[in-house]
Amino acid sequence: MNSKLISFINVLRTHDVRISPAETLDAMEVMSIIGYRSRGDLRTGLSQALAKTAEEKATFVQCFDRFFEYELPDAANKEDTADADNDAAEAAQGETDPGQESAEQDGAAGKPALDLAGEMAADSELAAHLDTPLMEMLLNDDRNELSLAIAQAADQVGLAQIQMFTQKGQYTRKILDAMGEEQIRHAVIELERQGSPALNELQTYRDRLRELVRDHVEREYLIQAEGKNKQFMDDILAKTKLNNIEHHYLHRVHDLVRKMAKRLAARHSRRRQIYKRGQLNMAKTIRRGIANDGVMFDVYWKSVKKDRPKILAVCDVSGSVAAYAKFLLMFLYSLYDILPGVRSFAFSSHLGEVSDLFAQHPLEKAIELVNWKYGGATDYGGSLLDFAALAMNDIDSNTTVIILGDARNNNGDAKLEVMQSIYQRAKKVIWLNPESRKMWGTGDSEMNRYMSAVHYAAECSSLQHLERIVDELLRSNR
Amino acid sequence: MNTLDFPQLDSIEAIEQGFEKFGYICSHEIATAVFLAFKLRKPILVEGPPGVGKTELAKTTSMLLDVPLVRLQCYEGLDESKALYEWKYGKQLLYTQVLKEKLGDLLQGATGLAESVERLHQFGDIFYSEDFLEPRPLLKAMYLEEGSILLIDEVDKSDYEFESLLLEILSDYQVSIPEIGTVKAKTAPMVFLTSNNTRDISDALKRRCLHLYIPFPTTELEERIVRARVPEIEEDLRHQLVEFVHSLRQMDLKKLPAISETIDWARSLLLLHTDQLDEELIRSTLMVLLKFQEDIEAATPEIKSLLD
Repeated sequence: MNSKLISFINVLRTHDVRISPAETLDAMEVMSIIGYRSRGDLRTGLSQALAKTAEEKATFVQCFDRFFEYELPDAANKEDTADADNDAAEAAQGETDPGQESAEQDGAAGKPALDLAGEMAADSELAAHLDTPLMEMLLNDDRNELSLAIAQAADQVGLAQIQMFTQKGQYTRKILDAMGEEQIRHAVIELERQGSPALNELQTYRDRLRELVRDHVEREYLIQAEGKNKQFMDDILAKTKLNNIEHHYLHRVHDLVRKMAKRLAARHSRRRQIYKRGQLNMAKTIRRGIANDGVMFDVYWKSVKKDRPKILAVCDVSGSVAAYAKFLLMFLYSLYDILPGVRSFAFSSHLGEVSDLFAQHPLEKAIELVNWKYGGATDYGGSLLDFAALAMNDIDSNTTVIILGDARNNNGDAKLEVMQSIYQRAKKVIWLNPESRKMWGTGDSEMNRYMSAVHYAAECSSLQHLERIVDELLRSNR
Repeated sequence: MNTLDFPQLDSIEAIEQGFEKFGYICSHEIATAVFLAFKLRKPILVEGPPGVGKTELAKTTSMLLDVPLVRLQCYEGLDESKALYEWKYGKQLLYTQVLKEKLGDLLQGATGLAESVERLHQFGDIFYSEDFLEPRPLLKAMYLEEGSILLIDEVDKSDYEFESLLLEILSDYQVSIPEIGTVKAKTAPMVFLTSNNTRDISDALKRRCLHLYIPFPTTELEERIVRARVPEIEEDLRHQLVEFVHSLRQMDLKKLPAISETIDWARSLLLLHTDQLDEELIRSTLMVLLKFQEDIEAATPEIKSLLD
């Protein structure tokens, strides 16, 4: 059963639940303490040992129910045995499955059963074909034995490695072969040749077996591959150019962006206290010394509290960068969710603050509203003036200004002097441009001029870029 | 290290019943967590919205097992001198003075500096010894021989650095004091950590704990809780008020009413001698349930629809 647990933990890991080896050991202990008697208790216990946040708990419950669907008895069955697999099988034996009953009635009702038995008695060759444990299980309709056999065959062919839905048929075939379905197939051919009335019945048995195996593969695919595929997709999406990401994947990107923003926030949102060793905080040291008869045992050094960086983010939402803007806004939105200190602005022909929109509306609505309110032809000069009027007083030596845009100004006045005064006041000004570096300064792009008033300019066209840059920025900003 | 055996914690059902005796009605999950924590000798990290009985769980466990509760309330800036240990500076000063006076006697007859130092070395160095150690809650829990419940309350309020300080205690039940060495717990305490999720707890800490999330209770459970805490209240009214609180929790409020508020409300309704909820009564007592003016303003117009 331990190997079962480990493969369950692997499944959890592919579904983004972070589990360390130490926790795996805990889970094993939990299993040995609680035992397999009660599915509910085991689920509760394991979730306490393995899933450590509310989201992880939700994922856990989902995976547990799927994974142990047939492995564990229900809470109602309280049998006490050591061997889990047998236990599971035995306990489940008591239950009658309505679907199973009806299948029995359809396929094996009445006369046909006699047909097949009669044929087998008459034809020794056929009997030899069908004299296998597999056929016996099918004849006895022993569902538990069957699922056990399927599980074993699946282990044998390495079903846990399944990655793509296209592999389902292949694995189904392999499992059937491993179980010895071949002989049934031969028998079917044999009966067909003879035109025997028992053919129908045998075919029913064969079809049921196939169905069972297919179900098993399907379930395993859902458990194993779904998580892996998701990770795979996430990797790809992070590297794809933002304007090439299909609308279809938007919700996934949103999750990804959220995760990314959360990671960044966790790394950088701490307020740090820096001790200046060497400078004595005299007042505090004397005060502390009073308790010790005036002897200054404890010395206190002067310290500075470093606040988290204040961030002002300005995002171009004009037509030329529309495909990027969606993601950048998404990123800003997620960042706002996590670091409420971020102030966001959007512009094309004029500029306005959108922090409130982000606070009040869900993502899609907020982005739509921003585009509707601020979308249009670009005017960097005017927008910079607007920005200065709105936020210049807030820019100080602890502020980082991030500008997201392509700097294509439709040949208007660039108002470089506004940019320069922002540059002088802010701790850092960062320009993220979705165009590749080669395009900067060509045509109506003012990028080269703006670059003189920016601490750091970078190309930013995929989510990975974005994460790397923002991480860099927050780190160097301390 | 001793390990104590408590028959009260022998099975999940026994824990549920034991807690109920002390008026703490718990869900199956909570009992399972306590059971596992005891069997695995692991701390429990309890998370959940404020007022669902996280601290109460530790208190009740201490009552159930009849062992002392050592409580450490965390806050920003909490450091080891307040949580772990502190030296008794005053006493240490006295000691040096006593030592100075005695020094002449001790060194009598010694010739030369080398011999004096030699003699000085023969005396044990008790300046930094357990005699001058002032134990703070964490160390206190290590010293208690009959076992203890150690409650580290609102660990999310403390600094990251403090979390790292806890790691040694949580995994090995021991404390390292540089001047003395390692102090091992005489009896492993049962540790509860609570968090309101104001920030994420570090993975290292989470890894060492069982994780219990206590959500708002179901109506059925909450009714049982109110019955246990305010037994005088009529069944009909109890049902009504729990239903009302539950519908309040569906609303988009700044702070949702928790179990403690439900109990407070039940008590206030009892004081007002009511046996039936009505709109007017709820409006005048709503401040017991909701703690923000804007929440009260948002909920007041909805009272009628929530009551149905």
